[in-house]
Amino acid sequence: MIAVIGLVVGVLAGLWLQPTVPVELQPYLPIAVVAALDALFGGLRAMLDGIFDDRVFLTSFLSNVVVAALIVFLGDQLGVGTQLSTAVVVVLGIRIFSNAASIRRHLFKA
Amino acid sequence: MTSRHGQPPVRVVDASMTLLNEVYRRPLDPGYAEAAARRTAGGSVTRRAPRVVTLLLLAAVLGLAIAAATLALRQPPTAAIAARQLLEKQIQQRTDDVAATQARITRLSGQIQTLQGDALGSTATELARSVQSESVAAGTVAVTGPGLRVVLSDAPATDPETQDPDARVQDIDLQVLVNGLWAAGAEAIAINGQRLTATSAIRSAGDAVLVDMVALSSPYTVDAVGNAGRLQANLARTAAGQHIATLRTTYGIGVDTSSQRHLELPGSGQVVLQYATALGPAATPTAAARRGAGASDASDVASSAGRTGGDGT
Repeated sequence: MIAVIGLVVGVLAGLWLQPTVPVELQPYLPIAVVAALDALFGGLRAMLDGIFDDRVFLTSFLSNVVVAALIVFLGDQLGVGTQLSTAVVVVLGIRIFSNAASIRRHLFKA
Repeated sequence: MTSRHGQPPVRVVDASMTLLNEVYRRPLDPGYAEAAARRTAGGSVTRRAPRVVTLLLLAAVLGLAIAAATLALRQPPTAAIAARQLLEKQIQQRTDDVAATQARITRLSGQIQTLQGDALGSTATELARSVQSESVAAGTVAVTGPGLRVVLSDAPATDPETQDPDARVQDIDLQVLVNGLWAAGAEAIAINGQRLTATSAIRSAGDAVLVDMVALSSPYTVDAVGNAGRLQANLARTAAGQHIATLRTTYGIGVDTSSQRHLELPGSGQVVLQYATALGPAATPTAAARRGAGASDASDVASSAGRTGGDGT
């Protein structure tokens, strides 16, 4: 619960403060946001499964975002940035989809 | 080697799909299950205060970062829209400036006309009349009279972005029509209220058709002062008539010809000549000769329009 409260507080602070993101980080933002979405859906599913854990949630959140950004960075350096971005989006997209399906089963029993 | 030690390993049917299966069947981070197992096994249930604070801080920072990222991702379009609006406002402002200046030119030309008339009227009526007719031919003064109105409009399109450029009215179409009208005996012509003079050019810049540097858009209303019936008959007989018929039948361009009892064509204002100077009175042809040269005047417009049009496209 602590993690969720902290996250909500952070998001509200972000909306209120409107901090500017450094230009160098701009290319990694879309992938980082998709990775964060994946972690969020994973956390929600774990919560419904009754096995939610603050530490695991935050660790997966942080590592997801960092690794996603890192992959894009690496891809950019190697000249395959677009392809790697696509790969990351496909993998994370599938995970988001199946987690969302699981959440749906929990909520609507269907 | 494995087969020698009893059971051979069972080959999974979809062995080549392990990566996809891994992604698809186990979308939840295994860490959750492990943590749950640890908890049921009787791990550390009680939490120390520093750790709670760390978690809270980390979560807050992550939330802040994600919010900032989302906001940053949503920003560019609004910036682009703002820039676009600024440009649109500038265009609007400049267009208004041009219109205001144009109106002022027309007003001042009118004054010049009256003053000229005043200066000449009492002494030389013949001279005054020749000045009058020449400024009509030159297109500098507003004229009124019966005539022919031809409206060309782009073929209807569902999506203007992907429309075939041939289905739009182009500079060459207007050039041909104007040439045809001059040849058919028009005395004054204006396109969408832009009076054509001896130095007028009809050309295209991008999607717009420029007449004397003023961008016009469909529908194009071409007003020609003259004997409407004769204009129409002569126009149909020339190559311009053929061209317009082709536009209508092949490209679906709207052509609407109507004879008007009363047309009002604005003057273009004073034509400023930077290089040309008039020769002495001895070389100036008489008013009658000049009147006869009206047709050549017209072909001047046509050829200049054709030339610049070719450059523009």
